[in-house]
Amino acid sequence: MDRRDLIKLSAILVLTLPLASVKAEKMSKRYSMVIDVTKCYGCMACVAACAGENNVPIGYFRTWVERIVKPEGNVIFVPKQCNHCENPPCLPPCPTGATYRDENGVVLVDDEKCIGCGACVQACPYGARFMNPIKGTADKCTFCDHRLKKNLLPACVEACPTGARIFGSLTEKSELKNIIDTRPTQTLKNYTNANPQIYYINLPKEADR
Amino acid sequence: MIEYFYPNEAATPLLWEPVLFAYTLLVSGADLLILASLGYLTKKLEKTIPLLLILGISFFSVVLLGPLADLRSPHKAPLLFSIPHISPTYTTPGISLIAFQSILWIIALILSIVFMLLYFSYPMYLKSKEVERFKGLYLAFSLGVDSREKYDKLSLITKGIAIILLLPATLWGLYPSTLLISQTWSFVWRNWVMLPVIYFADTFVVATAIAILVYFIWRRRRMEAEVIQPLLKVHAAGSLSVSALTALQLSIWWFWFDDSIIIQSLTTITSWMFIVIALLITSFVLSLIALRFLVISILVSLVAFAGTIANKWNILMNSQLISKTGMGVFELHLPADWLFKTASPIALAIFLLVIISSLFPLEVKEVG
Repeated sequence: MDRRDLIKLSAILVLTLPLASVKAEKMSKRYSMVIDVTKCYGCMACVAACAGENNVPIGYFRTWVERIVKPEGNVIFVPKQCNHCENPPCLPPCPTGATYRDENGVVLVDDEKCIGCGACVQACPYGARFMNPIKGTADKCTFCDHRLKKNLLPACVEACPTGARIFGSLTEKSELKNIIDTRPTQTLKNYTNANPQIYYINLPKEADR
Repeated sequence: MIEYFYPNEAATPLLWEPVLFAYTLLVSGADLLILASLGYLTKKLEKTIPLLLILGISFFSVVLLGPLADLRSPHKAPLLFSIPHISPTYTTPGISLIAFQSILWIIALILSIVFMLLYFSYPMYLKSKEVERFKGLYLAFSLGVDSREKYDKLSLITKGIAIILLLPATLWGLYPSTLLISQTWSFVWRNWVMLPVIYFADTFVVATAIAILVYFIWRRRRMEAEVIQPLLKVHAAGSLSVSALTALQLSIWWFWFDDSIIIQSLTTITSWMFIVIALLITSFVLSLIALRFLVISILVSLVAFAGTIANKWNILMNSQLISKTGMGVFELHLPADWLFKTASPIALAIFLLVIISSLFPLEVKEVG
């Protein structure tokens, strides 16, 4: 290889590297979830399925269902969990980078790196994180990433008897993308600028807290 | 009042309770170092510099033990230094203040030790001539500075280090509050807009209260006005500032949350704020009296401790008992070993103080 070839090869490498990274971003699935509040009747199947699937310690929750009584007496159930935010407030405070987002936008915790300082728990505006007393690390919803790798749905989605939870990718043609593109949806605590990726249909304003 | 909070908050409402004394008393080590540096640079507080320096290093060097006691996986603590999150990437955006301040802690500690060694170099040489025991040790600490001329030349480097030390020490003086207000979503911390300035001023109150107390214990009735009066003046200014800023914060909350259920949630916090204001104003008045009657300075110190511990208890503990929603209040339940966990770093700081002050004098005749 002469010098000319070497320069050519370097130029190709330099020019294609950004392309490769753009491609990688485009390839990311950007997982998200839509929760139709009108379909949830508070059976807690999602809470139980999540706890069973992920060994969630008793007293702690990766997902929970809030019961809201409207002034006129109607009872509404609102499932909540980690919002896998586009701009997650829990990521910057982590002192070791143990909490991170993967190429699909899923916010995860690397147990090997987590020192258990609780900074991310304090930083989550949604109360979705907790310190796992058994593992000694921060814990939260992972969208059941271990199941996603096997092309399975998150346990909470699979367990929901009314299909109130719809899971999918925002970058691919999916039922979820169709709903978000065509129906009015709401997200929680927009004033935090976290840009949450759990979208709600018919979310009562009392539940935005 | 509507009680509303997240279920995970109910499981563990308090997270950082072991840092209480570390972030009340030990963090004042940073402010003691600031005062020592400023004293050296401005040639004010000259007689107080050794005391401030030795106290500062003793307290600052163990400040991280508080947060260490709080880690759920303390065996992984070295990761804080080996893989600190201090550069943003796509997967880990932002910069962690905890990691950044841990790195700064190392820098500040090294700078302060170098500052101390340079500052004491010539006095150590003089001491080596006075004593027979440990003569070699004192000569080693003199760093080869065996004349006033050499010491004066060295003062340029010492001044340079004192200037550089100001930056990490100031950032540490501000640290816990900047973390609370910018990298958490606790309802109270986010809305406590005056927190960084209150915390910074309060740390000076603690720093001077500690220096006054140690000086009082050391000299008892032989206290010198030259040493104690500058400390009392700084203390008075700090106490008055914290009281005024706390009163301002109270007014801001009343203005923002007037007639809302949130102000009901804040009742505990606001009532403790009145106690803090009362105690620190008392400390302010006492320090003015103590300027004339030096023996009262012990009271200044004790009242200030009560005020500042009440303040930090309010900031670190009571604030966490308010839900992130601002619409729920939890009850305080401390673990059985809490006092041991939070107080043991103080014991180590005192032990270090005894060791360092037995090597280096709390008072020197020859200064730069």
